[in-house]
Amino acid sequence: MSIVSVYIEDGCITCDACEETLPEVFEVTDDTCFIKPDSRVDGGYDRNESQSALKQDFISQFKDDLLDAADACPVDVIIIVEGGSTPTLVEETPVVEEESEEVVAEPVEIAGDDLGELLSVGDRSLAILFGSQSGNSEGVAAKIAKQAANYGLEGTVHDMDGFDLSSLSSMKRVLIVCSTWGEGEMPDNAEELWNAAQKGAAGMLSGVHFSVCALGDSSYEFYCESGKDWDEQFEKLGATRLIDRVDCDVDYESPASEWAVNSLAAMAAVDGTGVFHENMVEAMMAHAAGDVSGAEGEDGFTVPNILSESIPAEISIFRYDPESASTGADTWVCSLPGHMSMLEVLRMLKSTHDGSLSFRDGSTNDPTTAICVNGRLILPGTVRIDSVAPMRDGTLRLRIDPLPGFDVVRDLVVDHWSLERKRESSKPWMVAATREGASTPQGTIGIMDGNTASALHSVTDFCSAALLHASSDAAPYANGYLGPSVLSSIWARRNDPRSSQGSVASMDATLSSSNGIKAETDFTSIRRQNPSAAIIADALLDAKTHVLEGDGYNGRHGKHVWWYTWTLKSSGKVNDTVLYRQVLGPIGLLGNLTSGVTARMVTGFTRTGGDMFYDMLALVAPPAGVGKMPRQFNSSVDNHHEVVAIFNELDGRF
Amino acid sequence: MAKYAYHPGNVAHSSAPEVATTMESLAHTLNITLVPLNGATSCGAGIVRQANRRLQLTLNARTFAMAEALGLDIMTPCAATAGNLNEDLATLKSDQILLKEINDTLAKTCGLTFTGDVSVHHLLHVIVDEIGIDVLEKKIVNPIDFTVAGYYGPNMQQEGMCGGDDVFDPNYLEQVISALGGTPIVWESRTQSVGVPGLFSEESTVMKQAAEALSEAKAEGAELIVSACNLSHAVLDIYQGKAGRNTGLATNIPVIHLCEMLSFALGCHNDRLAMLRTRIAVIGD
Repeated sequence: MSIVSVYIEDGCITCDACEETLPEVFEVTDDTCFIKPDSRVDGGYDRNESQSALKQDFISQFKDDLLDAADACPVDVIIIVEGGSTPTLVEETPVVEEESEEVVAEPVEIAGDDLGELLSVGDRSLAILFGSQSGNSEGVAAKIAKQAANYGLEGTVHDMDGFDLSSLSSMKRVLIVCSTWGEGEMPDNAEELWNAAQKGAAGMLSGVHFSVCALGDSSYEFYCESGKDWDEQFEKLGATRLIDRVDCDVDYESPASEWAVNSLAAMAAVDGTGVFHENMVEAMMAHAAGDVSGAEGEDGFTVPNILSESIPAEISIFRYDPESASTGADTWVCSLPGHMSMLEVLRMLKSTHDGSLSFRDGSTNDPTTAICVNGRLILPGTVRIDSVAPMRDGTLRLRIDPLPGFDVVRDLVVDHWSLERKRESSKPWMVAATREGASTPQGTIGIMDGNTASALHSVTDFCSAALLHASSDAAPYANGYLGPSVLSSIWARRNDPRSSQGSVASMDATLSSSNGIKAETDFTSIRRQNPSAAIIADALLDAKTHVLEGDGYNGRHGKHVWWYTWTLKSSGKVNDTVLYRQVLGPIGLLGNLTSGVTARMVTGFTRTGGDMFYDMLALVAPPAGVGKMPRQFNSSVDNHHEVVAIFNELDGRF
Repeated sequence: MAKYAYHPGNVAHSSAPEVATTMESLAHTLNITLVPLNGATSCGAGIVRQANRRLQLTLNARTFAMAEALGLDIMTPCAATAGNLNEDLATLKSDQILLKEINDTLAKTCGLTFTGDVSVHHLLHVIVDEIGIDVLEKKIVNPIDFTVAGYYGPNMQQEGMCGGDDVFDPNYLEQVISALGGTPIVWESRTQSVGVPGLFSEESTVMKQAAEALSEAKAEGAELIVSACNLSHAVLDIYQGKAGRNTGLATNIPVIHLCEMLSFALGCHNDRLAMLRTRIAVIGD
């Protein structure tokens, strides 16, 4: 099919995209877009609503650009009119007769379950006929033609006026969009074809698959009558109806769009030989959905929606009823499309199975929606079920829990107030920083150097404060611990060059307090969440080093780090004797003795028959904790002098 | 035949001699050749880096350089050691400037160079990914016919550090337990930290973390916990009485190392397996 004409529908937003793509044809005015006279056969200068043909040399030269301009139009008002293999031109063009051998393609029957073959082999033409009085049907037809490509169809829009009925008999796919005029009358441009159709021979359209979209106004007695007439007449002429007619009222766009999706999928499932493969309709819909909502073209940046097969799933959800103070879990066994997000799964279960299921709903990346699925902390709108956990034994088993470290309000809903209280307690907060900036016409712009700004942002850029807080395995058990979310924010502000000395001192005090960074027992649980969390864990490690140095490595925490490192220099190995003695001291050792820790440690009992005493470990028991520090009994690693040399090179404190 | 540079980890050096003895017999039975890295230092356990991050990186780079000189990857039975070594390995491999600076220090102090051509594996991943569950099954002499809770700890459950297993929802340990004749349980605490790095300073929190893990395993019906982390084993086992008393939770349950369980099932140390059976059946912890 070749391009015949181009015109502009109502609704142009004068964005200039078309003129930038093809200035030879399009010219954007103050309120719409005109087709330039040089490009038109009639030499007119308007939106070309009369659909005057484009000059052949323009079509030859700019065919691809015209299609690109139509594709790029954000409001889809550029309508390309395509015709048969020989466009009708008013302008006379020299005809060069060539002897050519007509090549007739052999019809190829498709196996019926090969989507790729169905989409690419044989005749894929689709005729879209419109009968229109006010232009609505024409607009619907034009949009369908544009969507047809997503279904692997070559859609061509035909005005009913002047259309040759007999040409339909060779077509395999026909869609009709027709409005009703007056008291059930055909639109003016459809009268002639309708008269011809009424005289048509039965069976003349026996190879045609069709569907009808009827536009009308239900306030009239003969609502959508024209469409009903076409629907009935096509059937009489032997055509096969694939999708039932839709009757659209004055708000026609939504039902017409829905009809178009179903009709196009059905038409696309008709192969080149005219055989309808009903089993391929859903696959066609999926194919088109991927193309329509995914990578829409050549920008190379749009990530397509990848549809996934249904997978059997066993979903177990934590339930808590505050009224009866009862907890438990409900389990559903179902089959779900793998591309559903976890949030969509929760919504589906709530709407179809249990309306009492409670969870925090919101936009895709709403930070308050965070939940725990099989131990993974996620924002449920951002994670597909086929990637949230591995499938085992052919089934996806999901265990959905509320975010750990928070009080549960009901089911998966947790109370974030405790985190807000901690943030509030980490004074100073909500204090405006002193701004340094350059005065520009746009206002004051900060002059912090890029590296510093990036480093500060990387510490605080996390998808959800609640999720980051919950990533700490210590947070649920350490009362008062501020947690990684609050502490990373404090650490970033503490290192913000705009913070005052007083604020820095206050934040240092918070960081080194008993609820500060020393209360975190293991950074690994934070680090392992994702790459962003690993950056934050590193920043928190820096904060801890800063605090320990500020404390002069005093206190149990400082001593633990100091003497652990010290024993490493001394032998290359960790010396438990030194650690227990230096960190816990005599009182701590005595506590371990009375609590049974020492007994379990020094005996071989819990070693399942292993050695009773090892490397003089018994010296961790008194009297080792009294008096002078015992000498080390651990043997040194080979080439221990290298270890000492590294220490001397990098850190002379030890 | 599998061959690795063997890094026993901190705990095997000091308070857990049972790791050394069972690893030896286990490796022999499964035809794994372990070449001891006798010069390797402690991995730092995430504690040395709190004092000086570059110091821990350099000490571990020295260990990597020794394994690289042998042309072998490193294998360790301790999840904390595997995690810490892998974290530092990833840091060095991702920052060529840092790697050069640390190599300068290594050249100056030890005459060693590390190019980055080494990997670190945990025993569990070697068993499942390299030796194979089917091979393991054929060598079972003493089925471990208990209900067993497998504890991974958080350290090696990081992206790129746990072989072909899932980071958050692993099942390698469960596969091994099943292969040995046991019944694995699925429990939430299996990849959670029991707070070992904070044991001395934040004992109250650590006891709660440990008690929660132990009591959950018991509540799920486990008769035994097998730990892939030797460092966490120290808290789960040695401190379980104290954790129970501090929290009021039921925490008494035998906790053994992964290498012990494998060794017992493969027919080594039958006397110790008998003792374990007694602990489970009669004593309870």
